[in-house]
Amino acid sequence: MIIEAHDLTYAYGDLLAVDHISFSVEKGEILGFLGPNGAGKSTTVKMLTGQLAPLEGTAIVLGKDVSTHAKQVHERIGVCFEEKNLYPRMTVRENLSFFAALFDRAVDIDSLLEKVNLEKWADDHAETLSKGMQQRLMFARSLINDPDVLFLDEPTSGLDPISADQIRRMILEEKKKGKTIFLTTHNMMEADALSDRVGFINEGRIVALDTPQNLKLQYGVRSLKVKQRSGEGFTEETLPLDETSTPGRMQELLERGDVATIHTQEASLEEVFIKLTGRKLVQ
Amino acid sequence: MKASCVRAIVRKDAIMAMRNKLVLMALIGGVLFSLIYYALPASVEETYALGLYDQGDSELISTLPLVSMGGFTLDEVSSEDELTRMVQQGDYVAGIVVPDGFDEVIESGETPTLSLVVGPDVPSGTIDSLAYIIQTALDYAAHGTPPVQLSTEVVGEDMAGAHVPLREQSIPLYIVLALMMEMWTIATLIVEEGASGTLRAVLVTPATPSDVISAKGIVGGSYSLGVVAVILLLTQSLRGDPLALLVGIVVGALFAVTLGLLLGSLTTNITGSYIYVSVPMLVLLLPALVVLIPDVSLSVIKLIPTYYLVNAFGSILNSGAGLGDVWSDFLLIAVCALAFFVLGVLSLRRRY
Repeated sequence: MIIEAHDLTYAYGDLLAVDHISFSVEKGEILGFLGPNGAGKSTTVKMLTGQLAPLEGTAIVLGKDVSTHAKQVHERIGVCFEEKNLYPRMTVRENLSFFAALFDRAVDIDSLLEKVNLEKWADDHAETLSKGMQQRLMFARSLINDPDVLFLDEPTSGLDPISADQIRRMILEEKKKGKTIFLTTHNMMEADALSDRVGFINEGRIVALDTPQNLKLQYGVRSLKVKQRSGEGFTEETLPLDETSTPGRMQELLERGDVATIHTQEASLEEVFIKLTGRKLVQ
Repeated sequence: MKASCVRAIVRKDAIMAMRNKLVLMALIGGVLFSLIYYALPASVEETYALGLYDQGDSELISTLPLVSMGGFTLDEVSSEDELTRMVQQGDYVAGIVVPDGFDEVIESGETPTLSLVVGPDVPSGTIDSLAYIIQTALDYAAHGTPPVQLSTEVVGEDMAGAHVPLREQSIPLYIVLALMMEMWTIATLIVEEGASGTLRAVLVTPATPSDVISAKGIVGGSYSLGVVAVILLLTQSLRGDPLALLVGIVVGALFAVTLGLLLGSLTTNITGSYIYVSVPMLVLLLPALVVLIPDVSLSVIKLIPTYYLVNAFGSILNSGAGLGDVWSDFLLIAVCALAFFVLGVLSLRRRY
């Protein structure tokens, strides 16, 4: 296992932010940590990356206890933060060169910039970049040491759809290279599209952890959505696939001849999350 | 501590500092402030210039400058009104109005009255010493012997006649002020890194809080050394024991930098940091200011560490002291710097 969390717990004063969570991530896997704001996602990342010492439990990354061997772990991980934390008065290139120097590595900054489509802005100050470009720069920074493990905390939060899609493609490219990725998000589409497995976290606890497909099959309802002509408009009817009455009702609709479209529907992760926690991902 | 990390942070901080208006202002401001030096008097007037209106051409009074042994000079004016006007204008520190028949009254054994006209801005201490000098000189002139025999023993080097001009006394003030501005700058840079989250990004690399503090110490220390050196050059004050001066500058820079790092590590709130930093800065400036105010001697000032820095610089630059004379002052400042460094690292570790 590349990442192992055993009974990880953290509290901010009286507020229990992460409550005895345990999970593991295999090599080359993307684990999506899905939950609403304040669920404990970022606190979990901070404990896994040695930014916070767990109140209880242990975080093992690449075989090392993060609490006692943080710097050895830091040599081999990359962290992309939720908040923008670039040096605003340094250029794009200087930002990356500085972090390369911290890792004492000779890095081909130009090819890294090319990878995140920022080569044209290499000599611009970071503060002049758009939000999406800054996020791409932060992503590039997290790759500066060619890490074995990437911790991505809400990497597409607040981005426009095009920038968010660019980041997602880059995440998948890193997965292809065999990197292990711990991704936190409150975007269920993103978690569904990127993750091999998804963990639902709510009020500091993991309420479910499985592949997106299994979660949807286990907790969701498969159905058919049938659109029929009705006068000058349309009406919609949803037929659960697992009910015995559905074949008869379907035949009836088809025989009437006013079916416009039929779509199969599987449950979304959002619906599964609501079913498990009683709350929405975006409040 | 990892040398490559410290090196990388030093390089980055040097770039950042040159692009930070605050740092440039602190550098330029610290240097410009020292130019006040040239507006201050370059020498000490040790002889009081007095005006004299003598209605009866007293012989006794005419001998006063001689018997006062250089304590004052006398310029005779033609009327009491003129004397008053010239004292008010500041041409004289004070004026003496001698009544007609002054010598005769003394000879008869009576006690005549001598009027002393004093300007509005003459300190009370000066009036008292002036009155004492005049009375003593008159007594001496009238009776031929001083009222008492005073035996004086100077302990250490006799600095009589070598009074330090105000501008030379003010040099420790510029040095401490420059160091405090560097302290404020470094604290602000740390707070900015904390507030912007960049420090968090640095600390998930191989860099440790000790690396960060050491690197900022090197950059801040270099700036402090540079600024103090420029101030000493501008004020033509590179004198005294060079080793003592160098040690003083290095220890002072370490003190300023480590205190800045400690204060900067206490908060990530930029606005809040102004209070965290400016209050200690003002307190630490007090000893340097008090030195410039005559007749003020507050023992509480000795509780402020910068007192020992001011004292040491004053002794080196103005009294010819060597490292052997001021080592205890520097040791105390160095111990404070070490304590600030340890507390700063602990504070950063706790926060990040």
